[in-house]
Amino acid sequence: MGAGALAIVVYFLLPPDGQSVFYVVIGAASVSAILVGAARNLPQGRRLAWQLFAFGLLGQVVGDAIFAFYEVSLNREPPSPSVADAFYLAGYPLLVLGVVLVLRELGSQTSRAAILDTVVIFAAVALVQWVFFADPYNHMHFGTEFARVVAMAYPVMDALLLVALAQLLVGPGGRTRAYRLLLLSVGLWVIADEIYGLNVNAYQGGDWIDGLWLASYVVWAGAALEPSMARIAEPDRRRLPRLSHTRMLVLAAALLTAPLTLLVERLAHHRVHAFVIAIGGAVLGAVVLLRLAGLVRAVESAGRAERAARREAEQAQQLLAFQNQQLLELDRVKDEFVSSISHELRTPLTSIAGYVELLLEEEADDYKRGHLSIIERNADRLLSLVSDLLFAARLQYGKLELERSPVDLRTLVQQSVDSARPRARAASVRLDVDVSAVPIMQGEPAKLAQLLDNLVSNAIKFTPRDGRVDVRLAQRDGTIRLEVSDTGIGIEESEREQLFQRFFRAQSALEHQIQGTGLGLYISKAIVDAHGGRIGVDGAPGRGTTFVVEFPGGAR
Amino acid sequence: MNNGPLVLCADDDEDILSLVSLRLQRAGFDVATASDGEAAVAIARELRPAVAVLDVMMPKRTGYEVLSELRSDEALREMKVILLSARVQESDVARGLEAGADAYLAKPFKAHELVTKVQELLGGA
Repeated sequence: MGAGALAIVVYFLLPPDGQSVFYVVIGAASVSAILVGAARNLPQGRRLAWQLFAFGLLGQVVGDAIFAFYEVSLNREPPSPSVADAFYLAGYPLLVLGVVLVLRELGSQTSRAAILDTVVIFAAVALVQWVFFADPYNHMHFGTEFARVVAMAYPVMDALLLVALAQLLVGPGGRTRAYRLLLLSVGLWVIADEIYGLNVNAYQGGDWIDGLWLASYVVWAGAALEPSMARIAEPDRRRLPRLSHTRMLVLAAALLTAPLTLLVERLAHHRVHAFVIAIGGAVLGAVVLLRLAGLVRAVESAGRAERAARREAEQAQQLLAFQNQQLLELDRVKDEFVSSISHELRTPLTSIAGYVELLLEEEADDYKRGHLSIIERNADRLLSLVSDLLFAARLQYGKLELERSPVDLRTLVQQSVDSARPRARAASVRLDVDVSAVPIMQGEPAKLAQLLDNLVSNAIKFTPRDGRVDVRLAQRDGTIRLEVSDTGIGIEESEREQLFQRFFRAQSALEHQIQGTGLGLYISKAIVDAHGGRIGVDGAPGRGTTFVVEFPGGAR
Repeated sequence: MNNGPLVLCADDDEDILSLVSLRLQRAGFDVATASDGEAAVAIARELRPAVAVLDVMMPKRTGYEVLSELRSDEALREMKVILLSARVQESDVARGLEAGADAYLAKPFKAHELVTKVQELLGGA
């Protein structure tokens, strides 16, 4: 590219004859550079587009060479038309075809929208080319009608190249460096042609316009030699076809072509091509309208699809709500079942416990009394199991509701410990209590007593013979703190979180075959929660367990 | 026999009915028994017991229904009513007390609880 730029500078320094020759040399160098680039960067079979560029430009070079021959050897301009025109004109279709091939390799859409875009661009370009570039030849003097036709063929070819350029501009895929260079080179060429077309009579060899053509040669060769040209034909699949800003601008520009053309002609006091502009404007308007109609339809169908999707989502939502409702109903039925079972179990227990109580009162034989006591104890156990199950079932479908009254926890703790003493003695467990005065709290005494009984009897249950259980109650930092610690089997740290879950049984409890339902701590936590407190556990396997309960102790 | 105050016991479970009757007789009360709600109402109207100990889940008429029937009868205004039930939820207890029961005892019950409650309601008589 640097060498090319240098060559262009050199060109303008040369005398006219030298210029003509050097111009051909630059062109020929560009053609061979494109062929070399294609061969180097592309595999066999994918080089056709660039070969077309090369031959298209070669047509121009040959034309230039014939011109140069006339100027240098014969010292005059070639006749009009000449053989040179044949080469020039033959080159254009090849260039256009090359661009079309590149676009096709890029995966340019052949959708209705893309075709309409092309038609819009073509119509706009054709209108401008005809009014400003082709039609003027109708009002010039030519030796023969054939010469006039040949002259008018140039704007037609430029129109084709312009359409190709516009397509490159809105083409799909990522923009590689090579792509941009190609865009630039085609752009330079078209601009040079158009400027020439406007000043066809004023043009002289060595004019600055030559610089544009030469630059186009150089850039085109640069594009071919640029390694990224191999990837020029790698479409970016992620980009969905859509109405990009560029495409919108092109459509808008096309729509403005007719009125602007009219305006320019009027301001320049040109002959106004009313008929052509009217027809062109109508065609452009119609096609853009078609394009927009397609767009609206696409948006509408997207909207329909979205509505359908939303309807589906709503239906799914309703189904989910229905299933949720059913689950809740199922849960309620289950709880009702548990409640009813609890009632059915309590009824026979009433007779068992009641008659055993009666017998115990009447029986004098200690041996028989011992057996009756066993029945009584187990009936009690069964009853507390049934109560726990009912409690847990009710927790399932609602928060625990308390009948609050002022409670002195100290008294409750003392009562609970006293009632647990016989059990502790039976298990050879030392039961110590250390209570200090605590503020009166609001709560339900029966539930709090249940909580205390649970914790104390748990501690005794999990403590082996000759162990000890300590119950402490104190006020600390505005909270009432209850601790129940034992020297029992302890609990794994990993199980602490689960300990308060329904039906959870610690591994150590299972290993030591300590009976339980896994409901006691679940219920205890529910009672603590309902009183706005917290319950936690500390300790390790073999080192005992401490349960800590904290209630807000009121402001003091 | 005992010539104490008359207590009506109603329960569809024969074993429990016998147990309740026995406990109350031993405590010195006269006892009349019914094994369904309708019989309970009939006996209550006929014998006008001082206290009625009613099961809740009974055939023909539930304890609640018997209770409201008794409460709507001017002549039985003075009768004390204890509901004795294996339905032990707070809502059950609340419903019984709202319907006008003087006490609600849960099954299984301890003998002294029952006797104490009846005596209490009779004002220590």
